Amino acid sequence: MPHQTTPEVAYSATFFLRILPDCGVFATRVYTPPPMQPKLKRVELDQVAGHYGLDSRGVDVLLEIADARPDRRETLHFLYRMFLLGGLLSLAAGIVFFVAANWSAIAVFGRFALLEALLLACVVLALLRMPPANLGRGALFLAFVVTGTLLALFGQTYQTGADVYELFLTWALLGLPFVMLANWSVASAAWTLVFNTALMLFLGWRPSGGLLWALFGSSHMTVGHLVLAAAWLNALLWIAFEIKRIAAVPEWVRRIVISCAFAFTIWAGVMVVEHNDGWLIELLGSLVAMIAVSVYAWSRRTDIYPLAAAMGSFIIVSMVWLVDALDIEEGGTLFVLALWLIGTSTVAGRVLTVTSRRWRADGLA
Amino acid sequence: MNADQAAVALLGALRDRGMSVREAPPLSLESTHRPWFVSLMLGFAGWLAGFFLLLFIEVVFDVDSSLGWFGLGAALLVFAWAMYFADRNAVFLDQLALAISIAGQFAVAWALLEQVHSEVVVCATLLGIQLAVFAVMPNKAARALATFFAAIAWIYLLRFVIRQGHAGDFFFDAEDRHGPDAARAILAWLFTWPPMLALGWWLTWREHQWMSTPLRTFARPALTGVLMAMAIGPAVTEPFAWVFFGPQSVGMQLGWVAVFPLLSIGIAMFAACCGFRLRSHGLTGFAIFAALLHVSRFYYNFGTSLTWKALIMAFTGAALLGAGLALQRRAREALP
Repeated sequence: MPHQTTPEVAYSATFFLRILPDCGVFATRVYTPPPMQPKLKRVELDQVAGHYGLDSRGVDVLLEIADARPDRRETLHFLYRMFLLGGLLSLAAGIVFFVAANWSAIAVFGRFALLEALLLACVVLALLRMPPANLGRGALFLAFVVTGTLLALFGQTYQTGADVYELFLTWALLGLPFVMLANWSVASAAWTLVFNTALMLFLGWRPSGGLLWALFGSSHMTVGHLVLAAAWLNALLWIAFEIKRIAAVPEWVRRIVISCAFAFTIWAGVMVVEHNDGWLIELLGSLVAMIAVSVYAWSRRTDIYPLAAAMGSFIIVSMVWLVDALDIEEGGTLFVLALWLIGTSTVAGRVLTVTSRRWRADGLA
Repeated sequence: MNADQAAVALLGALRDRGMSVREAPPLSLESTHRPWFVSLMLGFAGWLAGFFLLLFIEVVFDVDSSLGWFGLGAALLVFAWAMYFADRNAVFLDQLALAISIAGQFAVAWALLEQVHSEVVVCATLLGIQLAVFAVMPNKAARALATFFAAIAWIYLLRFVIRQGHAGDFFFDAEDRHGPDAARAILAWLFTWPPMLALGWWLTWREHQWMSTPLRTFARPALTGVLMAMAIGPAVTEPFAWVFFGPQSVGMQLGWVAVFPLLSIGIAMFAACCGFRLRSHGLTGFAIFAALLHVSRFYYNFGTSLTWKALIMAFTGAALLGAGLALQRRAREALP
C-alpha cells in the first residue's frame, strides 16, 4: 500500500524525477499522497446501497467497513479538540471585546499593565509547557492575539495617527515569533489572515504613511502592480510550503494561502478594466499567476483545490472583462454573459472532476 | 484501484460478514464523485448565469404580465427538469439546467408575488417554490440548493408569522418596528431551530436507515442543505432580525437577549459535528467558518455592553476549556 510509506519522503523522492521532461512526467508517477487515495464518498455509498439492495443493517456494516463513520475514539478526539479550540477562541474574543470596550473605569497604566501581564502569563505558560503540548500552543496563540490587542490599545489610547493597516502589519511582524514557536496550524491560519488583512487595507486605501509606504511610496509601481505583488507573494508562500512541508502549515492552511493569492489575483485582473498605465503588466501578471499555480499544482498531484481556485478566478476576471467590453444594457450581452458563465464553468467543472477522479484512481494503481 | 474496484471489495467484505447482498450487474461509480469546492463553484456560476438568463429574457421578450412571467417561469422549470432527467451527471447539461431552473424560479416567484405586500405570503410562497423544486428536480445539487433556500424562507416565515399584526407591511417600510420583543424572539427561535436541529440530527445519526430506502435520493441533498442552513442561516437572515428589534435598536441595551448569537455559534458547531460524522471536510469547515462569523455578529449586534460581552465570552471560553479537558481525559481512556 503506497500510503504506508512516509508520505513526505516518498513524495520528495519522486518529485524532481517527475518534473524533469527527460525522465517522463507520467512514467515515473508512482505515488499519490493519502488525501487523494480512493475512498468511497457518501454519494457513491448511496449508489452501492441502492444498487445491491442493502437493508438497514447492511448499510450500517457498509458504512463501518468503508470507514465512512468515525468511531467512538475519533469522535471523542474531534469533540475535545473542538471544545478546546472553541474555548481558546472564546477567551481570545473575550480579550478583544474587553479592550474594544474602552473601559474608562481603569486608568491608562492599569489597562496596559493588565494586557502586558496577560501576555507575560501566556509566555510563562508556554515556557512551562512547550509546544507541541496543547497548553503551550494555546498560550502562544493567545499571546499572538494579545499582541494585536495591545497594539490596538496603544493606538486607541495615544491616538498615534497610524493607519489601520499598520496595526495589522505590526501585529503580523511582532506576532510571527509566537506563531513560529506555537508550530500549530490554527496559529498559522490566524497569522495568514492578519498578514493578508494588512496587505488588503494597505492596497485598498494606499495611505501615505507607514512602513509599506516607505518601501513603495517613491517607486513607480501602480496600485495594480502592488496588488499583483501581493498575489505573487502569497502564491510563492504557497509553493514554498508545498515544497517544504511542515506540520504547522497543513493542507487546509495552504488552501487559505492560495485563496488569498487568488483573491489578490482577481483584484489585479479586475483593475485591468480601469485601463491604467500598467494594465498590461496586471493582465499578464494575473494570467501568469493562474497558469503557474495550475502547472505547479498539476505537477504535485496532491490537491485539486489550487486548480479550482485558478479556474474560478479566471471565470470571475473574464466575466468582468466581458461586462466591460460589451454593453450591459443590451439583451444580447446578458445572453453572452450567461453562456460564458455556463461554458467556462462547465469546462472547469469537467476538467477538475476528471482530474480529481484520475488522481484518486492513481493512488492505488 | 478505482472507485468501482473499491466498491467490489466492499461488497466482498459485506458478504464475508454475512450480509444479504442482492445479485446485480457491476455498478459504475466513476462519474459520481465531485469535490465540494467544485460543486460550490458550479453552483454559484449556475446561479449567476440563471440570473443573467432571466434578465436577457426580460429585455428581449419584454414580459409585462404576471401570467406571462408565470408561463415563462413554468416553461423554464419544465425545460430544466427535462435536461436534468435526460442526461444526469453531464456537467454542461447540469450547469445549463441549473441556470434555467434558477431563472424559472425567479420568474415564477415574480409572477406570484408582483402584487403581494404581505411578507408572510411572500415567505410562504418562496418556501413553497423551493419545496416544489426539491421534490421535482432530479438533481442532487439542485435539491441541496432548494433545501438551503427553503430553510432560509422557513426562518423568515416564522419570524413574520409570530410577529402578528404587521403582516401587511413589507420588510423595512413599516414605521412601527421598534423596541425589543424578547418573548416573540424566543418563540421564533424555538419554532425555527429545534425542528431543524432535530432534522439534522436524525438525518445524520440515522443515516443507515434512510440509506437503505429510496428516500436516500432526497435525504442526502436535504442533509447537505439543512446543515448549511443551520451553520450560516442566522447570519444570512441577519437584516431580518430587525423585524424583532428595529434597525435603530442595534447597539442599544437589550439585556440577556444578547446571548442569541451565542446560540447560533452552538448550532453552527452542532452542524460541524454532523459534518464530521459524515466525514465531510467541506461541511465541517463551512460550519466552523460560520461559527467564527457569528462571533463577529455577537460583537456588533444585539448590544449589551462590550464589557458584558467580554465577560460572557470569557466564561464561555472557560466552560468550553473545562469540557474539552474532561473529554480529552475520556479520549485518552478510550485508547486501545
